Amino acid sequence: MKVLIIIPAYNEANNIVAVIEKLKKDFSNADYVIINDCSKDDTLRICREHQYQYLDLPLNLGIGGGVQTGYLYAYAYDYDIAIQIDGDGQHDTAFIQNVVDPIEQGQADVVIGSRFIDKEGFQSSFMRRFGIHFLSRLIRICCGANVKDVTSGYRAVGKRMIACYAQDYAQDYPEPEAIVMAALHGARIMEVPVVMKERLGGESSISGFRSIYYMLKVSLAIVIYRLTHKREG
Amino acid sequence: MASVLRFFLIIAILFYFIFIMYFLRKKALHLKYCILWLVCGIVMMVFILFPQLLEELSKMLGIISPVNTLFACELFFLMLILMSITSIVSKQNEKSKRTIQQLALLEKRIRELEEEKEGKS
Repeated sequence: MKVLIIIPAYNEANNIVAVIEKLKKDFSNADYVIINDCSKDDTLRICREHQYQYLDLPLNLGIGGGVQTGYLYAYAYDYDIAIQIDGDGQHDTAFIQNVVDPIEQGQADVVIGSRFIDKEGFQSSFMRRFGIHFLSRLIRICCGANVKDVTSGYRAVGKRMIACYAQDYAQDYPEPEAIVMAALHGARIMEVPVVMKERLGGESSISGFRSIYYMLKVSLAIVIYRLTHKREG
Repeated sequence: MASVLRFFLIIAILFYFIFIMYFLRKKALHLKYCILWLVCGIVMMVFILFPQLLEELSKMLGIISPVNTLFACELFFLMLILMSITSIVSKQNEKSKRTIQQLALLEKRIRELEEEKEGKS
């Protein structure tokens, strides 16, 4: 099976080399592609110098548009499985095989790497866990999908959902909405334990007032998506 | 409605049409995007030229002063126009996103083709 690893990167000059080198060691039998979302630092130069596989977005699209570019790439080059991991090193690539297995064995169409199953590694702050728990409940009510770590950007996606995501993917804060979309397309969603680390450098994109906006926007997006889309497949 | 007010409103709407026509002629406005503006102007004009219509409508809606009906109409059109603008912006956003993504895919392909070519020569 052709497997592609999608690594969105925005200003990850400090982390990207470590992430890619570890990835090559941990999971060598797959292609990968870095999506440089118009970084302002040296990310592009580093990718070029190390001769990494990368896509260079000429304008900043944000995480959703960036990841979707990866899915477009996977779709265009006929990959069977696409895996997305963050470019900041929070996602331990040692667990990629666990995330891919259910899809390779035909047990699932979308696999979410979750930090809340074995409760190992970085568990995030109390407020965040509360928010994630709320969104998890909301998604279960809206479409029946039972996912604990709904904001995890560590996931593997099968061929059919690659095509769906290439066509339609939320632009900002896309992770929870993507689960709803998968569920309504009749995809089998599975959650497997992974370990995440606390971010080494940089600041989270979601803090303070942003977190209130995040919760409002994502909740609204989930409810509206459910109200405007029929269940398929 | 007082005839002074009517007179000024007619002048204002005439200017409004002249402005729109001027921009259309200069191609600074797409006809597609200003049909709503034109329809709004025409409706206003009809109400002002035939105040009986406006009075009838006001009575029907229970609005005492007909000029308020005119304002309400105007507000309704403004909302419509704003909504259409938001919708246009959203579509543009989607289109530019698509363009940027395809550009990135193409750039990678060109880069690879160039490397291949360099490797051969």
